[in-house]
Amino acid sequence: MMRARQQIIPYLFLLPALLLLVVFNLMPTIATLFESMFVISLRSGERVFAGFANYNRIFNDPIFWKSFQVTVVFSLLVNPIQIALALGLAVLINQRAPGIGIFRSIYLLPIAVSLNVTAIVWGLMLDQNSGMINGILLQLGIPRQPFLHSVDQALWSIIVIASWIGVPLWSLFILAGLQNIPPPVLEAAKIDGANAWQSFTKITLPLLRRVLAFVLVADTVANFLMFAPILLLTSGGPRLSTNLIMYETYRRGFLYGDLGASAAMLSVMLVIVFIIVGIELYALRGRD
Amino acid sequence: MLLRKLLLVTMLLGIFAILLAPASAQDEPTTITWLTLGWPTEAIIEEFEARNPDVSVEAEQVGFNDLFAQIQVRLGAGSEVPDVISVDVPLVSGYAFRNWLLPLDPVFTGDEVEDWLPAAIDAGSYEGTLYAAPVSTSTQLLFYNKGCFDRAGLMPPGADDRLTWEEIAEIAQQMTFDDDGDGTPDVWGFIWEQMVRIYQLQALPESLGGSAIGDDGMTVDGVINSPEWIEAYTYYYNMFNVWNAAPQGEEFWPADIFETGNICMFVGGPWNIPRFANNADLDIEWGVSRHPYFADGVPATPTGSWHIGVNANTENVDAATRFVHFISTGEGAEIWWRRGSGDFPAQQSVLALFATEEEFDALPMSYMRTAADEATVNPRPRAVTVGFLEYEQILQNIFQDIRNGADVEESLNLAVQRIDSEMAKYR
Repeated sequence: MMRARQQIIPYLFLLPALLLLVVFNLMPTIATLFESMFVISLRSGERVFAGFANYNRIFNDPIFWKSFQVTVVFSLLVNPIQIALALGLAVLINQRAPGIGIFRSIYLLPIAVSLNVTAIVWGLMLDQNSGMINGILLQLGIPRQPFLHSVDQALWSIIVIASWIGVPLWSLFILAGLQNIPPPVLEAAKIDGANAWQSFTKITLPLLRRVLAFVLVADTVANFLMFAPILLLTSGGPRLSTNLIMYETYRRGFLYGDLGASAAMLSVMLVIVFIIVGIELYALRGRD
Repeated sequence: MLLRKLLLVTMLLGIFAILLAPASAQDEPTTITWLTLGWPTEAIIEEFEARNPDVSVEAEQVGFNDLFAQIQVRLGAGSEVPDVISVDVPLVSGYAFRNWLLPLDPVFTGDEVEDWLPAAIDAGSYEGTLYAAPVSTSTQLLFYNKGCFDRAGLMPPGADDRLTWEEIAEIAQQMTFDDDGDGTPDVWGFIWEQMVRIYQLQALPESLGGSAIGDDGMTVDGVINSPEWIEAYTYYYNMFNVWNAAPQGEEFWPADIFETGNICMFVGGPWNIPRFANNADLDIEWGVSRHPYFADGVPATPTGSWHIGVNANTENVDAATRFVHFISTGEGAEIWWRRGSGDFPAQQSVLALFATEEEFDALPMSYMRTAADEATVNPRPRAVTVGFLEYEQILQNIFQDIRNGADVEESLNLAVQRIDSEMAKYR
């Protein structure tokens, strides 16, 4: 009796979190998968089971494929960039140097500002006519750049904005991983004659594998869900060059009232995220 | 034990409070919510409440783009609030098609309906039923800064002159000045007030004989990428990208820049007339002339404005329809025009006040009479389509792209592709 009670206790502690997870994550996910099988008559509001009709519709829709392509390109660029920079930054701030505490606080500041505010401030800084960045470029003798209004520069501008928060955030996790590496291991490598690069690639990186796996997965998911800067700054433009799937889904579902297509797009994205995260976890799986 | 008693008493009190609440609420006025733009709503609400003490109106005021998204999300979800919504007129068919609005025919008498401009009744109706009562209509004029004309050594047009777009291009380039020589003009020659919106930009292809949408209200291929559209928006492209006479970048409100003397001409609504006339700090001399047109084409002017409708799911049908009736007819309509939006009224009886009121005898307020007349010159309503929201927003993105240097034909073809893919759900 006593043992049974004791066994239940951990589950009771987990229950509130589990309930929230079910209500806010699991149920909407299932509802979305379910919704993607229905068509709502725009006229009568009636819901009719439509099987894969919504999927058929989006797979034949060039705009969906265009936003799929933009999302893939964005992910292939932003994730490696953010993780490489975060790793570099973490290694730098892991050094013992005078005043490093102050520097650690400063570089963490962008995390304390919400993504929405960051996006709006960056939008002002990148403005073609009165933005600060163009002011600096002009001083340097470089002509004004259109940034968010250029097909070639808009996605890169979004990558910069996303990384402004992303890099310090992920480097925080990597820093924690670095500080978990026992110093004697690195000292032993040094004594054995390993140079800095060798001890970084042969000791530090392998020992960071678990942390990097987490960061890679979390960063991939976060960037797949990237939405606020697009809504606030580009509305998917110019010429759909920043039309990430998340924004296209919002536009279809909430602005244009096409919930079926919106749910189908989300479901497709869910499957893709699952596959990519699966591959990432497999590639970085622990062998110890 | 004491704790239990206390709990019991509290619960009983709670139950009583709940039971008694509706009885006391009966004396409270019915509150209705009106989702609208940031107009001065105090006067109209005050006057309505004075005549209808059993109703209280709460204005929920949001920005231009937010209004459409809010209506879409809230009415789309079947919410019973807001009770009353301000409706941009081309969206009436889309809302009526989705059964979001209450039919309003029984609310108005024959005389009241006859007082509205016929075009406004048509625009507020879908398949012969009135869904949104006309409140205002609109037109556009050319506003100019006389100082710019002096500086360029040119003669400004008179209030009844109508310049061609070709002349505007010419003048605008001569009135663009880079005073500090940094390569970016400090005074710009020209801009459209709603620089990326079809409301104002449709008049360009319409002047050349183009149409807004196919006869079925769905087809855009061959319409918005027709030679007329390509020619019209090549002009638009050139204004920003070749002649460099109009500023690129983010959208802004040109009247603000006009007042500081940094924009010489803009095509804009008559709502700017009282704004400039009543601005005591304004130290530029300004004037208006008629809406421009292409030399090879015909004059065509933008039209249409705000209507008002009742949420089909409201729980306060009576109070909501009374408010809609008040603001769109007779005395209420006049109050809204005088002390509310100040937009052009859709009621002929209120429009007639422009001709008789002394206020409009002298310059600059007499420009309102010019505007009232311009509203009758080939007004071109926007596309009548259930998918207007998609049509409007996609074109807005496309115009913004063209303004910032995107190829015209390529952009219009992309618009066709995008609008087609959105229209698929209505077919």
